[in-house]
Amino acid sequence: MAEPLIQVRELSKHFRTYHRREGIWGGLQNLFVRDYKTIAAVDRVSFTIDRGEMVGYIGPNGAGKSTSIKMLTGILVPTSGEAVVNGFVPYRQRRRYVKTIGVVFGQRTQLWWDIAVIESFKLLRRIYDVSQSDFDARMELFNSILGIKDYLNTPVRKLSLGERMRCDLAAALLHNPPLLFLDEPTIGLDVVAKHHIREFLREINREFHTTVLLTTHGMDDIEELCRRILIIDHGKVLFDGELRELKQRLLRTKQIKFVVKDRADGEGLSRFAVNGVELQPVDELTYRFRFDRTKVSAADLIRQILASVEVRDLLIEDEPIEEVIKRIYAGEATLEVPA
Amino acid sequence: MSLRDIGVVYHKELIDSLRDRRTVISMTVVPLLLFPALTLGMGLLGATLMSRAKGEVPLVMVVGGEDSPRVVEALKRNKKIEVVPGSADFEDQVSNKTVRAAIILPKGFDAAAEHGDAQTVGVDYYEGDIKSELALDTAETSLKDYRVTLAKQLVSERGVPGNLVEPFKVEKTNVAPPEKVAGSTLGGLIPYFVIILSLTGAMYPAMDLTAGEKERGTMETILTSPVSRTDLVLGKFFMVLTASLATALLSLTSMAVSFFLARNMIDKLVSEDNPTVHYAIDPVGILAVLLMVLPLSVLFAATLLAIALFAKSFREAQTYLSPLTVIVIMPAVAALLPGVELNTRTALIPILSTTLVGKELMAGNHPWGFIMLIFLSSCVYASLAIAAAVTMFNRESVLFRA
Repeated sequence: MAEPLIQVRELSKHFRTYHRREGIWGGLQNLFVRDYKTIAAVDRVSFTIDRGEMVGYIGPNGAGKSTSIKMLTGILVPTSGEAVVNGFVPYRQRRRYVKTIGVVFGQRTQLWWDIAVIESFKLLRRIYDVSQSDFDARMELFNSILGIKDYLNTPVRKLSLGERMRCDLAAALLHNPPLLFLDEPTIGLDVVAKHHIREFLREINREFHTTVLLTTHGMDDIEELCRRILIIDHGKVLFDGELRELKQRLLRTKQIKFVVKDRADGEGLSRFAVNGVELQPVDELTYRFRFDRTKVSAADLIRQILASVEVRDLLIEDEPIEEVIKRIYAGEATLEVPA
Repeated sequence: MSLRDIGVVYHKELIDSLRDRRTVISMTVVPLLLFPALTLGMGLLGATLMSRAKGEVPLVMVVGGEDSPRVVEALKRNKKIEVVPGSADFEDQVSNKTVRAAIILPKGFDAAAEHGDAQTVGVDYYEGDIKSELALDTAETSLKDYRVTLAKQLVSERGVPGNLVEPFKVEKTNVAPPEKVAGSTLGGLIPYFVIILSLTGAMYPAMDLTAGEKERGTMETILTSPVSRTDLVLGKFFMVLTASLATALLSLTSMAVSFFLARNMIDKLVSEDNPTVHYAIDPVGILAVLLMVLPLSVLFAATLLAIALFAKSFREAQTYLSPLTVIVIMPAVAALLPGVELNTRTALIPILSTTLVGKELMAGNHPWGFIMLIFLSSCVYASLAIAAAVTMFNRESVLFRA
């Protein structure tokens, strides 16, 4: 098997910060005596990512996601540990290395604010040494998938967030990098814009085997794009594996929604709410059962209900993934990192 | 270091800055409006005041002249003052400026003068009031002339030749060419303004390109580009330098144009053969000043960048950079003080040396030794500042200050 595209071993980044005292007196004290302490923003993180993977890098705010991305893109030098990406050590061979990656920070843009988008593209073409014919071909491709032609001559500040994000993605991929880092690419976007961005990412992953590492707070991004996720908190990796596996290990609750024929049938459902099975009415004719799937068999429950009540429709649902992630962040669910 | 990359960064920052209205305003509007307003405004004001003061014939009161008609007659012959008869409240009248000066003659002045008795004539005037001082000058001249006439008359009556009273005369001739006169009066001011403006012109872009970039969050995106940090800071530096030099150049141009306009206008106002201000300025001197300011601009651009880079936000950068204006103005002002002269010690003090040598250049002098010394020392300071800016830009703790 080929070498992994990203190899991270025991990567750490420590920041020195000081304890800020409160109040006026504390503020004056801060000017003269500082109580320094070292914080491990990223603490001995190890993982590998193979070519063509799309991996979700998730964690609560302040977990160390951005610091990791900054180290992997060569902006920050790690305190210890090592990273080899695309065959380069990012922080040592930064200039050659960054020509092989694309980076998009969702909340900021690398396009110039006041001038037409195409001017930024032309400048990036010079910075990344892209030949004119390659440039034209890429622009053609981006236009066909992202439809950016209409606003190439518009200044960035006049674009909507969704349009800007498409242009930013195009800018990051102008030099055809095999690896793309995305920091919150869909933040603040509407449903349609999110859909376009995800479609585009899937497309380039399929067509060019572009490897994508993305951080996000939107679990819908992860569910739609990534098979594998890395969960990080307090600078440490909490989980590294397939999303499906995470669900299997952590999804305890199953939900079944029944739509019944009339109200009498609905009342008949209440006798099944025993042995840890909860019943919640959704509306007049719709009811939801919630139960621990390790203790109650969904198939048995459905069979029993269908035998005694006239059911028009039923829907089996998993607990929303957000709920699982929330439990992990809150420390209620424990995970072991697979070796 | 790659010249191509520096060029790309410079090109980007230049286009970006030119589209930013605030940079353009600080670079162009200030020098283009300030100098015409300053020279025309001040020049016109001064010229108008002078010509009005000269045009008005001041009233001079003669107190106690009733028994001395001859001296009063002599004073009346001077058409530059108008003699009015005395009154008891002459001091008040001088204070209230109803008369500009009062001549107080002792009792029986004419009679005592004919006998050659020693006596004192008082003149009351109001110091600080230009019209009163002019009246004093004229009255004094008239009285002195009358004294000489009287003395000649007295000695000739006694059979002594009259010219013994005034054995020689003094005749003044100005040999300084007009540009030298302008050099000493305005020469100090021109380098001063050019230096201050080359600083203020660099200030806004220096903050925008560093702290502003951090604040907008675009510093990270720039740092992920395949341009080395040294090239990045040098590209930015050249942009700041461009703004600094453009401001200096524009201010000089605008100064030259407004001086030219002012000369024509003021010459018309002060229609005398002896204009009070000379506006002749040596264009070679101005070019030489610009050349001397060049390393200083480099010093400013690099220092501003290095300091502003430390700030996390635009506001913070402003806090750091405002005191710098005072630090630059101080030596520039010191150079304008009388007695501060160019020597080997002052030639090594940045800013002060440039203002001093600028003064000399504007006056048409070319102290080559000092020019070389100042140019070289300024270049050394400038290189140190550039090195500091590059070092700062390569430090993680500065770029991502918590």
